[in-house]
Amino acid sequence: MSRSSSQDGRAATDRTSKALNEAAGLLRGPHRIFPLLLKLTSDGVRKKFQQQHLYSYASTARPTAESLQSLIRWIINAQRSDGGIPAFYSLLSGYSESYPEVTGYIIPTLYDFAHLAGDQDALHTAERATRATRWLLSLQMPSGAFPSGLRAGDAQPSVFNTGQILQGLVRAYAETKDNGILTCAIAAGDWLTKIQQADGSWSGPGAYQEAAHTYYSMVSWALVQLCDSAGVNRYAIAADKNIDWALTHAKSSGWIDGINLRGYPTFLHFIAYAIQGVLECGILRRRNDWILAASKPAWLLLRKFETTKRLLGTYEPDFRSGRNFTCVTGNGQMSCVWLRLFEATDDLRYLNAALKMNEMLKQLLPVRGRRGVVGGVAGSYPIWGAYQPLRYISWGCKFLADALTLEGRLTRSFEASECAS
Amino acid sequence: MRIVVLCSSPYSETGCAMAARLAQLGHTPVGAITLPSWDRATLVRKLGQWGFRDSARYAWSKLSPAKATTRKQTRNPYLETALGHGNKIFRNLHDVAGAHGFPVVVCASQNSRKAIAQMRQWAPDLAIFTGGDILRKPLLETPRLGVINAHLALLPEIRGMSSPEWSLLRGVPLGVTIHFIDAGIDTGPILLRREFQGAAECESMTDLRNRMIAYGIELVGEAVAALDQGTISAVAQSDREKDNQFFVMHEWLKTQAARRLNKNSLATATSKTDE
Repeated sequence: MSRSSSQDGRAATDRTSKALNEAAGLLRGPHRIFPLLLKLTSDGVRKKFQQQHLYSYASTARPTAESLQSLIRWIINAQRSDGGIPAFYSLLSGYSESYPEVTGYIIPTLYDFAHLAGDQDALHTAERATRATRWLLSLQMPSGAFPSGLRAGDAQPSVFNTGQILQGLVRAYAETKDNGILTCAIAAGDWLTKIQQADGSWSGPGAYQEAAHTYYSMVSWALVQLCDSAGVNRYAIAADKNIDWALTHAKSSGWIDGINLRGYPTFLHFIAYAIQGVLECGILRRRNDWILAASKPAWLLLRKFETTKRLLGTYEPDFRSGRNFTCVTGNGQMSCVWLRLFEATDDLRYLNAALKMNEMLKQLLPVRGRRGVVGGVAGSYPIWGAYQPLRYISWGCKFLADALTLEGRLTRSFEASECAS
Repeated sequence: MRIVVLCSSPYSETGCAMAARLAQLGHTPVGAITLPSWDRATLVRKLGQWGFRDSARYAWSKLSPAKATTRKQTRNPYLETALGHGNKIFRNLHDVAGAHGFPVVVCASQNSRKAIAQMRQWAPDLAIFTGGDILRKPLLETPRLGVINAHLALLPEIRGMSSPEWSLLRGVPLGVTIHFIDAGIDTGPILLRREFQGAAECESMTDLRNRMIAYGIELVGEAVAALDQGTISAVAQSDREKDNQFFVMHEWLKTQAARRLNKNSLATATSKTDE
């Protein structure tokens, strides 16, 4: 009890100090005041006059390819000289420092775009992914783990960051066939399997707030990918164990309990992580029971989106309504989940919902503004919402770019199969 | 049989055609309840559904006095027979009511106290839903037999919105179902369930929808007659628990549905030529 309340207190203090530090950025850069006021006003006006109805987002207002390009441009413009991608662009303090976790899982997004883009763009984007990989490799700890936090100097090993970075390393190896990258990926995988608890969870040092979290299913997804790349089965066994553990937290309502972030509400971002990890493992491991388990909360959220045309920023257990704002990145993640469920089940209702969700998200992308703003994905809509307020976040760009890439691939293959039949 | 027609707007063609067709068949409604024509929610919905240009064109065709006596001003050409009245065409529910002598009551919501009180006063045997709100229990329980709806797909396979398009994409035969409305979405007991045979002649999705709406009105007429004679009984839907609900379709998928329709029409035309 005392430990949990001290963690609550620590989270609150941490949040306050971060907010004060960021607000001080406005004093250092008064030129940011006007864009900030402009964004606050435009979101306020939009929110007041926006009319959602039965037919909202059912037609295309902005081409998908154009939006995808602007998202990738945001990421590339944000990349720092060290090769890392910052966590966010704050309307108060500008770009943050390079963020290892996000840099890791942005790598597959960059390579996906490189495959889609024309020659010059492809080369440029792939080169950016290589730079990001090189920076990550320089951060790996002797144990194989990757550090938590924004700074490489913050040398606490982190399970979640290691898992997310592992996704990038596995993809970088697949693209470059550089054995050095595979060696580092294996070291990361070994560390993850070594510190895994007997029940399949990750808790204790290395886990956020030292607690076990079901959204670490994303770590399992990375391990399954490593198993496929390295041909070593123990990574998949560790992933299986973790997903089985996570699903002991699945309730009959579809809610996956155990997100377990003390001092924070359950943001859609983490709910979507838990679902996405289970689903991707289910697809890769050909476990229909896992796909079914992921489809239950995904369908529930789909129904909420279709009937109200929005998802809330946070939910209480059993999907009871939480806070009234949009967690933009969580929406992008849910779009990815629905698109993958369409691929796995052929149920066109998932594709339909994802197409509409993507329309909604594309409309939220700023088409003009300074670097860091244009083409960026805000943490919340309106910008002052509870998730990453007053920030454009790089992982928001990543998930929306993934959703748009998937949309493009699946719609093209649907059209091709229609022509063939 | 005492019948009340529920409409989404006094200018709803489907609502007007339904009331007029029932009167033609000798089942003149005892009254009609409609939502107002200019409420904000309806305007926003229509703008979203049709876009600004189509909405403006529709409003002009309904309100322009110069076109009052001419035909070809219906969005749905297959409703012209029902809407025809001598050399004129019924432009709104008030015109239909005036010609056939039944009252029209405008309510902000079909579930409002005003609407329910009016329904109780009319004491109908049956209400026919042609559009509007999601109906709640107090209203559903007012007519002696219940409230019926013409759903543009076969139930229970395809429930909810964009049903002809979903039927095409899911490979379910096109059809119309006349069913009682209950608390769920298109989950009530079924009176009539017929496949729609005219798809091969359809030029577009709009054309298909228009034909199916007209077919639905004819089927409602048939169901009303059978209920009046006591020769029909409703059958509960077998898989009520199964989640067969579909939602408004995105335009990209609608394009795919239209392609399937064209492909089917072409295939039928080719097979007829071969014969």
